[in-house]
Amino acid sequence: MQAALSLRELQQQFMATLYDPAAPGPLAAIAGHGLAPADRIRIYRRSCNETQIAALRVSYPAVVALVGDAYFDQTARGYRRVHPSRCGNLQAFGDALADYMEVFPNCRSLPYLPDVARLEWLRQLTILASESAPIGPDVLAAAIRSAGDSLQVVLHPSLHLLDSRYPVLTIWNYALRPDDEKLTLGEDGESVVLWRDAGEVAMAELDAASFACIAAFVQRSPLGESLTMAQSVDPDFDLDACLASLVAHGLVIGLRPYGTSTVKPTS
Amino acid sequence: MATISAMTTRPMPVHAGIGLRAPHVRRILSEHPGIAWFETHSENLFAAGGPFHDAMEHIRADYPLSLHGVGLSLGSADGLDTTHLRRLRQLVDAYQPELVSEHLCWGAIRGWHSNDLLPLPFTEETLRLVVTRIGEVQDALGRQILVENVSTYLRFDDADYTEWDFVGEAVKRSGCGLLCDVNNIYVNSVNHGFDPHAYLRALPAASVQEIHLAGFTRKEGLPVPLLIDSHSRRVSQDVWNLYAEAIERFGPTPTLIEWDLDIPALEVLLEEAAHAEEVLNAGRALAA
Repeated sequence: MQAALSLRELQQQFMATLYDPAAPGPLAAIAGHGLAPADRIRIYRRSCNETQIAALRVSYPAVVALVGDAYFDQTARGYRRVHPSRCGNLQAFGDALADYMEVFPNCRSLPYLPDVARLEWLRQLTILASESAPIGPDVLAAAIRSAGDSLQVVLHPSLHLLDSRYPVLTIWNYALRPDDEKLTLGEDGESVVLWRDAGEVAMAELDAASFACIAAFVQRSPLGESLTMAQSVDPDFDLDACLASLVAHGLVIGLRPYGTSTVKPTS
Repeated sequence: MATISAMTTRPMPVHAGIGLRAPHVRRILSEHPGIAWFETHSENLFAAGGPFHDAMEHIRADYPLSLHGVGLSLGSADGLDTTHLRRLRQLVDAYQPELVSEHLCWGAIRGWHSNDLLPLPFTEETLRLVVTRIGEVQDALGRQILVENVSTYLRFDDADYTEWDFVGEAVKRSGCGLLCDVNNIYVNSVNHGFDPHAYLRALPAASVQEIHLAGFTRKEGLPVPLLIDSHSRRVSQDVWNLYAEAIERFGPTPTLIEWDLDIPALEVLLEEAAHAEEVLNAGRALAA
């Protein structure tokens, strides 16, 4: 008779077969009671599979719309085997779907698909980001007067950026609100900013210089350096307009002179 | 995230509550339905912010709340996930729920998660492990938790206890409370062929602080009867009958209607809660 498995061995074998049907699971430890142990395990494998795929469908509605249910489910099944869930909170599952699609051969006929997936994951991060009180234009103006080029602009945690070689925002909008007419894609990519506005994800396309400037802010580059980055893209870049727009949308939450670590009081 | 620091923990009202689900949040905020309390999955609040936190701040201000965890994996041979536990502590501190519960099962090993409620072998080794883990959770949260008996679709040969004795011993040895899921008892009685009434009678009645009710589905085409705890239907008549027996035995107890798949209109959940309330009233009359 086979020695009983330790709890750890039993759980490791059980988990392995939930992700890989070729792994038998702890069959010898299971009481059949009229149903083969493999069939009992199959109930759990199917449940685990369905729960995780359902979570991916919620996070990636535009990808589902673009490829269809059957194709998405096939991709999702492959994904979960390569990237098993690492968190007891299902909201965290699916962060690497875009990277998986880059290498998944069946997805290569839709080269923009990984970037649509990236945009959808950033939407998830945007909606679930922490809240933070914005600063007003007067505080910003005073800080610029005092710190000048060395000022660091701290942006709202919900703000995210995606620079795509494809018209990713146009494709996303089309996928979820398809017009009768077929979408004709342009050659140009789109640079997208995402933020949370009144509990919803807002998205907008940015010009290349504004994108470079905001990306520099995200990297905590000081104001002067951020401006240089933007001007290298467009010498006529309007920093004041960019800052005013960020403040108007409540997306500047802190200011500090470069090299300090403490965010200044924001009011 | 909410900071409701002035609030102190109060006992959960002995009435029927419903599970708070995303499709109903808008109506609950605007219509303020007459329901005694809400329960939400703790993990739904694990994100740092977002609209669900915003909604919960309002809902918490108006209703008693239970935080019900699905991802802590109490029975894993690995240690508890300290990040998960720390986040749960933050939520408990912020929302001050009347009840906090977890499942008597496992779901993760070596960093891989099933995001499901998996069965434990009812051995002395497992019992000792879950008792230790429940103690660690209670220490980390600074309060008592409830543990829930789960539905299962298989049994392990290696067993030192019946399921009901395993559940009862875990509760007694750890000093936690019991969340008695009556539907899970019924589902398991069909799946594993035991008497659900004997299960109820064996549980430590004084430890039962909450009851769960939900609907199951029947899996067809198998050589044995098998019920799936799908949370996708109304509560079955057999489970209502078992619930009435549970109330007779445990006394009136806060009772939750759970519904997670194919979520119907809010009215359906309120009807099910009203049904539970009738059973609770009958129990009160009996106790008077």
